Amino acid sequence: MIIAEVQDLVKKYPSFELKSISFHLESGRITGFIGRNGAGKTTTIKSMLNMIHPDSGTIRYFGRPIAGNEADIKKRIGYSTGTVSWYPRKKIRDIVNIVKRFYDTWDEAAYRKYLDLFGIDEMKTPLELSEGMKVKVNLMLALAHRSDVLILDEPTSGLDPFSRNELLEVFNELRNHGVTVFFSTHIISDIEKCADDIVYISKGRIVAATPKADFIREYSEPGESLEDTMLRLEGGAVHA
Amino acid sequence: MRNILRKEMRLSASVLSYLFILFGLMFFVPGYPVLCGAFFVALGLFQSFQTAREANDIVFSALLPVAKSDIVKGKYLFVCLIESCAFLLMALAAVLRMTVFSQSAVYRGNALMNANFFALGMACVIFGLFNSIFVGGFFKTAYKFARPFVTFIIVCFLVIFIAEALHHVPGLDKLNAFGTDDLAMQLILLAAGIFIFLLLTVLSCRRACEQFERIDL
Repeated sequence: MIIAEVQDLVKKYPSFELKSISFHLESGRITGFIGRNGAGKTTTIKSMLNMIHPDSGTIRYFGRPIAGNEADIKKRIGYSTGTVSWYPRKKIRDIVNIVKRFYDTWDEAAYRKYLDLFGIDEMKTPLELSEGMKVKVNLMLALAHRSDVLILDEPTSGLDPFSRNELLEVFNELRNHGVTVFFSTHIISDIEKCADDIVYISKGRIVAATPKADFIREYSEPGESLEDTMLRLEGGAVHA
Repeated sequence: MRNILRKEMRLSASVLSYLFILFGLMFFVPGYPVLCGAFFVALGLFQSFQTAREANDIVFSALLPVAKSDIVKGKYLFVCLIESCAFLLMALAAVLRMTVFSQSAVYRGNALMNANFFALGMACVIFGLFNSIFVGGFFKTAYKFARPFVTFIIVCFLVIFIAEALHHVPGLDKLNAFGTDDLAMQLILLAAGIFIFLLLTVLSCRRACEQFERIDL
């Protein structure tokens, strides 16, 4: 079942352009959104969250356009855009106490579980946390309200290898419970470990939006790792 | 809206916004342009916008499950709440000056504007101008606030200057009524001030919602 759909998304900046981005997310699957820095991953994700106003195109969740249904749809989505960059001097506990009131589905037990799993001290302020811990706080907020879809912008960036593995395990666990996960990354090994589908963006254009196995079959050479495939593709061999 | 207002009050607001409500009591001060109290309340609100911008508050709000327009309405609600609290203090001071202290020599001999219902109406106009010029101006970018605030300061002091000067104009001396003199006219002027406040606030809030919808965060 299609749970989220991006259709003909166009956003023009003076020096960059998203060119008719289209793809969809299937229920209960993990989709990795890959592309090098500046390819358009964050712009696409911000458009999906209605933080950026696209020039044209539609974004739908659960069959409904986000425009006009933003509040209802966002209650069913968990999202995180990088690290915690807000309220540096407020305690995590105080921020959470505000955030949880916005969600009818806030799961205090899940919140405590991720607090423990990620080793977060809720009495600390963002200013007192490392970059990796800030990423975890953002993830914890995204995970604690039992969302149907998780949209995460580079959630594994800044995490140590152990934390990355933990997070990928969490993704797998969520998938097993029917949650759809969409995460951008430029760490290809994360995709290899847990993604079912791949959306590959290059220079503002979607190159492929396909199951991982099909992607490997189409683009990888025998014995080549996915990382080597991406390096070769970005090197220009395919686009030339 | 209750949740977004709670967020404004507990996370976004500067403590100075709350403290500066007390400047509403400047309506008690004799020999001082009482409308400056309204300006200082606005200054306290400006501090909240500054604190919120430093804390990346707009992006945080955009990530909450609310419509973008609710973020704007939340800010307006918070601003109006602070202004209303200050207005109540000003009203208290004005009523006391009009009743208990109506014969007080220190107020009777005051060359500056008397703290009466006309002054309260003018305070509403200043709050309305703050909402329209500063808050509305801020939401053109949701980032830049220096120009809207400087514009507000200029307009605000122009209004204070005019309000202070008006009752010296022949025929307009009733604007400086003491006690309950010319009460009907005073109440009409207060109602006019409240109407201007509501008009400026509602119109600028609507425009700000439209502008904020188009902003890329």
